[in-house]
Amino acid sequence: MRKYILITVALVLFSFRASAQSFLENSQVNGSFQTDAQYYVLDKGIGIDDLLGKKMGINGFGKVNYTNGNFSAGVRFEAFLPEMNGFRSELKGVGLANFFATYDNGFIGMTVGDIYDQFGCGFVFRTYEEWSLGMDNALRGARVVIRPAKGVTLKGLYGRQRYYWAPYLERDFNDDDTRGIVRGVDAEWDLNQSIPALNDSKFRMSLGGSFVSKKQYDMSIFYYIPENVGAAAGRLNLGYGNWSFSTEYAYKINDPSAINNFIYKEGQALMASLSYSQKGFGAVLQVKRVDNMSFKSMYTGKQNDLDINFIPPINYTHTHSLPSMYTYSTQPNGEMAAQLQVNYTIPKGTALGGKYGTKLAFNMSQVNDIVRDSVMDNGRMVISRPGSLGYTSRFFAVSNHRFFRDINFEIDKRISKDWHITAQYINLYYDIETIEGHAGAPVVKANIGFMDVTYKINKKQSLRLELQGLWENEVHAGYEYEESEKKDYQKRGDWAFALLEYTITPHWSFSIADKWNYGNPVEEYRDHYFTGTVSYIHEATRIMLSAGRQSEGVVCVGGVCRTVPASSGVTLTVSTSF
Amino acid sequence: MKRLSLIFATAALMLFAMGCDKIDINNTHKPFEPVAGQKAVLIKDFTGARCVNCPAAAETAHELQHHLGEDRIFILSVHAGFLAQPIGNFPDFLTEEGTIWYNNHDSNPLFSVDHVDLTEGYTLNVEQIDAPVSAALNEVQLFDITTTTTYDEASRRLEVENSFYPTGDGNGKYYATVCLVEDSIVGWQTIPGGVDREYVFRNVFRGTLNGADGQLVSNGPYYMEDVFTTTSSIEIDSTYNANQCYVLTYIYNYENGKILHTVMEKIK
Repeated sequence: MRKYILITVALVLFSFRASAQSFLENSQVNGSFQTDAQYYVLDKGIGIDDLLGKKMGINGFGKVNYTNGNFSAGVRFEAFLPEMNGFRSELKGVGLANFFATYDNGFIGMTVGDIYDQFGCGFVFRTYEEWSLGMDNALRGARVVIRPAKGVTLKGLYGRQRYYWAPYLERDFNDDDTRGIVRGVDAEWDLNQSIPALNDSKFRMSLGGSFVSKKQYDMSIFYYIPENVGAAAGRLNLGYGNWSFSTEYAYKINDPSAINNFIYKEGQALMASLSYSQKGFGAVLQVKRVDNMSFKSMYTGKQNDLDINFIPPINYTHTHSLPSMYTYSTQPNGEMAAQLQVNYTIPKGTALGGKYGTKLAFNMSQVNDIVRDSVMDNGRMVISRPGSLGYTSRFFAVSNHRFFRDINFEIDKRISKDWHITAQYINLYYDIETIEGHAGAPVVKANIGFMDVTYKINKKQSLRLELQGLWENEVHAGYEYEESEKKDYQKRGDWAFALLEYTITPHWSFSIADKWNYGNPVEEYRDHYFTGTVSYIHEATRIMLSAGRQSEGVVCVGGVCRTVPASSGVTLTVSTSF
Repeated sequence: MKRLSLIFATAALMLFAMGCDKIDINNTHKPFEPVAGQKAVLIKDFTGARCVNCPAAAETAHELQHHLGEDRIFILSVHAGFLAQPIGNFPDFLTEEGTIWYNNHDSNPLFSVDHVDLTEGYTLNVEQIDAPVSAALNEVQLFDITTTTTYDEASRRLEVENSFYPTGDGNGKYYATVCLVEDSIVGWQTIPGGVDREYVFRNVFRGTLNGADGQLVSNGPYYMEDVFTTTSSIEIDSTYNANQCYVLTYIYNYENGKILHTVMEKIK
């Protein structure tokens, strides 16, 4: 008997070892780590005469994902000890921020843990993590994805969103208590995959629809807050040859919140995009209307807290220092936007194209407010009064109140084997009062230009020079301002920027830069912001050390922004991935 | 496969049917009902004279106070942070204790309700205070407080005696902080679109009589028949209007910072 037991145990162990070995052989592990640290110093020259007890800020994360066939799992650890300046103080802490496990065999996929997903363009649902913003609205719960037929995808999910380090289950009377539960379904049908006759057709079509609802708790003393708020969206994508067209419309029922000043109006959003592309030429025309579409799983949430949805921006994304100083931040309470982007490459071998061709790009985007008409509330005509409908709005009417306009033209030219140049001109209109909340501050009307020249010294070494200028039309040296509003002019007026970068591939890069607010109307704000940077790259590891000043501004990703205060000190960034 | 799709469609329909609550637009306001209990609640409004959004936030907090009872809700306007730094003609209401309580937050206006989570670094926006206020008002009152003030006009010396009466038996470490408040000060305040040069600042915190953390009331077991007494004093600054000055006292749990009761008394 004992002999049989031993043989059975040996067989079980052998089979387990064999399957474990096979399990491990099919495994893939990848991940990434990053630490950003800033050491702050007093710098009276730019108004920092008190560090408020914070000499250092460190943000760090490490994430590891494991994949084995149909199974995948991952964890992300985060530490903000304390958070760097400009990040929300609620981030301060350390711990396991995120984990998930997924099984997906192609027919059915199931995920438990922290879920990142998007329905359509995000009008009714998008969860994502953006490290540079300190933003993470992951949904902790479960998701099922079913693909019942070729080209058909059905999704269902529910959970609670991450709110910094607030516990998910505890409910007491702190600011966490009105965080609701999010439930959603989405269906998408790709006709070209489903219908064999359309498999290779020039005509392309897909349809989709979503419904998302939040279950929140009415804790208000003033108002009846709807405990279930639903939002639905429908989308259509069409294509023929070089043409494509996509559109999405979303509708949300009454959702009084801190963002919309507790009005009970429905929300609506519409976006449409028409594009054409062929070799050397591409054009995109986009239009968007947003009306009362902030959708959060906590009705008291402000800023970017607990956003269930995402309103995509349709503006050019500038990456150079001065053009990106005034980046548009999406206005969920209402905006009418349009954008036209045209790209053309002058072919090689022509008089203007030269030996390498010349790339030209034109972009124009403008955002205005929607039109709001007053409504009757308790016998009075009111607009946006808390507890009322708020207003009515004609769908296609555009307000004269312009939030933003950016007209830019770019030329990108390789002159020879060793020389490359990019230049851009931007005409900007930026309503800083609406976008950044500087009440009463005059609109930024500016002309911006930059030139980015790269010279390849030899196969390994290169030099890059950036020269940029920003000239405000109205606010500059000599502009008369109220003494009490001086702070609103901290980054206003004319700027100049220069950067010189020396690169030794594949490892080293050295740069020095100066950003100078020489034309600020307030003399004491005419500061230089010097920085020196050294970076070292080894395979997937990057170490960057920079020292100097950082000017006040905003960092925006996808229309979502955070304010960065002025600072002075040393910054170290270490990142790696495997 | 068809069954799965059917289940999915049914779940989607159920979610659609149950996922929306439509509020009658003619009935959006809840009636204000007297709140049971006796416990008073302290709202600390971290504000600044150069903070453009602070007047509207203070108004919302005062509206809440007006509806729920001025004897049940107390508001302490603590000027702290960058936007409270006095520049030019803007008034200087900064205090050492207020800066400690503000705890390096980076914006105004911010609020705390009975110190909930303030010690952990969290604060609330004004839109977030009604729920914690409602919850705090319904808590069991653990202590009652009576304040006796003696003010000498000539020396401007203020003596304060506070007596703390437990409403039952208990155990814990409790501290009390005694604050000087000056009401209705006129001065410059940034408002949307400019500066209001005759803005009326309400309930301005002028400092404490016994430090940011206050002083010990009781440590260990206590019984309903106990009475704890603390005394403190201060010389009222000659620039303060003594006719508009109050003493605000709150008792709190030293372990978690939670305020248990608040009272306010005129100094004369």
